Formats: sequence, C-alpha cells, structure tokens
Amino acid sequence: MARTWSTPALAVLCTAGVVLLGGTAIFLASLFLEVAPTNALSQRYRSELDQVVYPEFEQNWKLFAPNPLQQNLAVDARVQTISATDQVHTRDWIGLTAQDIAAIRGNPAPSHVDQNMLRRAWDFYDSTHTAQDGTVAVTVDAERAQLAEEYLKRIGLQRLGRTQGGERVLQIQFRQRTVDIAPPSWSAEQTPGAVADRVLPWWPVDDSDYQGLG
Amino acid sequence: MSTPQETERQLPAGIPRRTGPEQPGPPAVPGRLERAFATFTGRALGPYQAAVVRIGFGLAWAAYLLREWPNRRVLYGDRSPWSDGLAARLLAQNHAFTVLGWYHGRLWFELVYHLAIVSAVLLMLGWRTRASGALFMVTVLSLQNHNVLVGDGGDNVVHLMAIYLVVTRCAEVWSLDARRGREGTVWLWSLLGFALAAGPPGWLWALWAVAGVWYAVNRWRPEGELRAVLDALANMLHNCGMLVIAAQVVLIYSTAGWYKVQGSRWQDGTALHYPLHLDYFTPWPGLSGLLGSSLLLVFLLSYGTVILQVAFPFTLFNRRLKNVLLVLMMLEHAGIAVTLGLPFFSLAMIAADAVFLPTAALRWLGRALGRSARSV
Repeated sequence: MARTWSTPALAVLCTAGVVLLGGTAIFLASLFLEVAPTNALSQRYRSELDQVVYPEFEQNWKLFAPNPLQQNLAVDARVQTISATDQVHTRDWIGLTAQDIAAIRGNPAPSHVDQNMLRRAWDFYDSTHTAQDGTVAVTVDAERAQLAEEYLKRIGLQRLGRTQGGERVLQIQFRQRTVDIAPPSWSAEQTPGAVADRVLPWWPVDDSDYQGLG
Repeated sequence: MSTPQETERQLPAGIPRRTGPEQPGPPAVPGRLERAFATFTGRALGPYQAAVVRIGFGLAWAAYLLREWPNRRVLYGDRSPWSDGLAARLLAQNHAFTVLGWYHGRLWFELVYHLAIVSAVLLMLGWRTRASGALFMVTVLSLQNHNVLVGDGGDNVVHLMAIYLVVTRCAEVWSLDARRGREGTVWLWSLLGFALAAGPPGWLWALWAVAGVWYAVNRWRPEGELRAVLDALANMLHNCGMLVIAAQVVLIYSTAGWYKVQGSRWQDGTALHYPLHLDYFTPWPGLSGLLGSSLLLVFLLSYGTVILQVAFPFTLFNRRLKNVLLVLMMLEHAGIAVTLGLPFFSLAMIAADAVFLPTAALRWLGRALGRSARSV
C-alpha cells in the first residue's frame, strides 16, 4: 500500500522526481545526439553536448561500421646505432605488429598489450598526423600530435631496447605496411592494388625517452 | 514535462515491472498518477536485472584485471610507454577523473590496481555494495582514464556501467548484503573518509556524505519519515539509473546497427569475411578461415547481425520477440569471444544485455545455480 506522506515530504519527493526525470531525459537526449549523425540540433548545442558527454560518457559504438576494416596494417621499426668509434649503423626492420600477432595466435584471452597497445597508438598517431612524411596537419591539435609521437616512440623503444649489436641506439624509425584483405573466394572483385609503405622520419632518441620502460 | 504519470511509461517494456514475492497487493483503486508515483518512489524496479548487471560487470572487470596482472605495469603503471608525464598532459586537456595522479610511483599504482581487483570481486559478491560499488567506479575510471589508449569497446562499456551502477540499488537480491539484511558500517565509512582525505577535494565527498547521512538516519531514526523519504529518493535514483542502463544498451545496438546499414560491405553481405581475416582478431586462423569459407554462412551472419542490431530496440515492445533476440545476441557475443579473441569485451556485452532478461528466467537461473552449488 502506498504510503501517506506529509506535505513537506511530498514536496521534497515531487521536486526530486522532477529533477531526476528531467536530468535523466536531458542526459539520454545528449547521449542520443552524440551517437546520431551530425545534425542541426547537435551542431547548435555542440559545446553543451560535449560538456555532458566528455570526458566520462564517451560513446564509440561504430564497431565494424559503416564498413569493417579491410586491410591488415603492420607496423615495423628499426634503429640506428652508434659504435664506440662513432660509426653509425642502420639496423634491420623488426616487425612490431608481427610480434603482437605471434602473441595473439592460439591465445583464448589475448592481452590488451598485444591486441590494443601498438594498434591503437598507431591509430592515434595516424589521426593526429597527415601525409606520408608525418608532418602535422594544421587543423589537428599540435599537443596531441606530440603525445602520439612520443607514445609511439616509447612503444618501439620498449620493444627494441637501449642497444643493438652492443651499440647504443641513436635514432628510431617506423614504417607501416598495408596489406589489403583479398575479397572472398566467391566474389568477382579484384584484389585492390598494393599500397605503398608509409615511412616516418627518423626520430632522435635520448636517455629520457627510456624513462620507466624497464 | 515529467509528471510522475509519465514515469511509468518511460520505463522500457524490457525491464520487468514485477518484483519478488514481497510485492504488496494492488492498492485500492487510486488514480493512475498516484499509482505511478507509488511505483516510482516505492520500490527499486528490476532488482534481479540490477543484480545480474552488477555481478556480470564485477566478474568481467575482475577477470580482465587478473588476466592482465602480469602486464599491469606496462598497461597502466610505472613501466608504461604511456608515461605519467604523457598521461598528465592528456588529462590536462580532457579533465578525466583518475586517482593515479594523486601520487607518483609504483606503490600507489599497485595499491590502486589491487584495490580495483578487490572492489570488483566484492561488487560481484555484493559485499557492502554502497562502498564496493563506489570503489569499483573510482578504480575503473582511474585505471582507464590514466591510459585510454589501450582500451576497446569492452572497456568503454565497463566504464559507463561502473558509473551507472553507483546510483542503483543493485544488491537487493543475490548479494551478501541481502543475505545479512543490513548494510553500512562505521569503520568502512571512516576508512574511506581517511582515504578521500589523502587526495584533493572532489565530488567523491558527496557520495561519502550521502552514505553517512543514510547510516545515521537508519541508526537513530529508523521509523521516522526522514528515513522513508531517503528510501523513496534512493528508489527514484535507482529507477532512473536502470532506465539509463537500459537506454545505454539500446543506444549501443542502434548505433552499431544503423551505421552498418550504410556500409557497402554489410549491404553486399561479405562484411563478416573481413574481420575474420584481420590479424589482430584471429587467434584461431583455422576456425576463422572455416567460418569465412562459406558464402551462405558469411551472408547470413552479416545480414543477421545487422537485422538483430537494428531490430532490437523495437522488439522491446514485444516480450517474446525481445527474449528471442536477446538469446541470439548473447550467443553471437559468445561466438565473438572465441573467434575474434575478445572474451572480456564479450563478457561485458553479455552482462549489459542481461538487463533485459525477464525476471522469471533470472530467478529460474538463480535457483538452478543455487541447486548445483549445493550439490557440489
């Protein structure tokens, strides 16, 4: 049986009810506008929407949509080392993605270290940089671009270490190879032509880049 | 715009309105408005659904943290390529919440990581759920916001649900709290107060204060109207929280479905072929190859996925259809767990789906599990 409330209690409950339901409605409407395609309403209230959704209620549900990724991206890295007699040697490319894949194969619960770290660091780098030479796009936040660079560099350095062949690492370079996934066997589609490798510039390495990498 | 009359209607049909056997009989013909108000303030709707979401997310996050235990320092800690310095620069931009920035060094990180495991397990068990739920949220946010760049969709769902669960009364059933029949102790509350005092002032104090008031009123005015008002407020908050959880799940599927409809690969029915050949998501290339080798199977699964995701929100208005789709979606996620190597993502999604399971099915499941547990 519903309880009989005193007037002040009823006032509190009704006010709270209005606030809670109103707040819930506004919150859900914001989430909806956030995941909907850009539209007149969401453009008009962009900053208000961002205030509700970011940083803690981010929505990113375009899983394999509108199209799944149709390429395998592989990131490789190599270093230049310097000998005691100041001779610089360029070392061989090492497949960082290949290491990830090796760890994922046959693993029922792949680690985020193997499945996400390098993959998403590259995405982050890619989204903050344009062009083959790795120059920063004018429109993109320069601070984030820098963060992405440093992060990628440290991921490479953690895997390749401080020395190679007994020589100190001087610089590091990354490249990305793109291999298109062939269409299914029953499809009449042609496999797309090969995509050129994307090679980033050499990045100088100093001791501070290794901080905490163990 | 939000009279109590509307509240009843706002609850999606997927969340069952009936509660356990303690439900009082129908009131003596009050108006619809009064009835809606009494429901909204009088009880925490969907107690079994809230419990299964709590257990599911506690389990998913605990399992994930235990699996990553050997890698914890590389993912979120002192060995991470995403150093404290880089994290601090990004946090200065996005203002996300994390306690990891309170102190530097390994000790603090280890404390937070292990507290995250403990709170996830305690949340799952429903032990001091007010406190363990708040700790769960704080630790989930802290670890994930410290390094957002290692997460995927599964982490995103855990992040959101960790926040939503805090406002729900998710330990009314299937919890140690429910079994013991009372909640709240001064020692835990004081301990958390000391812990909060160690950090900068923030909104967490509000949660702490509310817990304190609730305890005090229960202790000294258990029969008073104030206690009843607080109880009603908690019910209202819970009911709004459950609505948000359900709406969030609907949004996930709607977004995933509607954007797929626009994709040429989903239209030509070959979409599934591609993820099955992505190196990062093929722990079992033989199995993926086998699944992807059949035109009919790839077509049916591709089209089926889109139909399922697009249709799901609308089936909420038909119990039977909703339940069929729910089972199919859970099965699909179980399949994804194995074939794409995403067990924690899948577990989180299944836990989220479970908010729409019917009460009867959940209680049957609970009894079956209880029986098998006793026989073991």
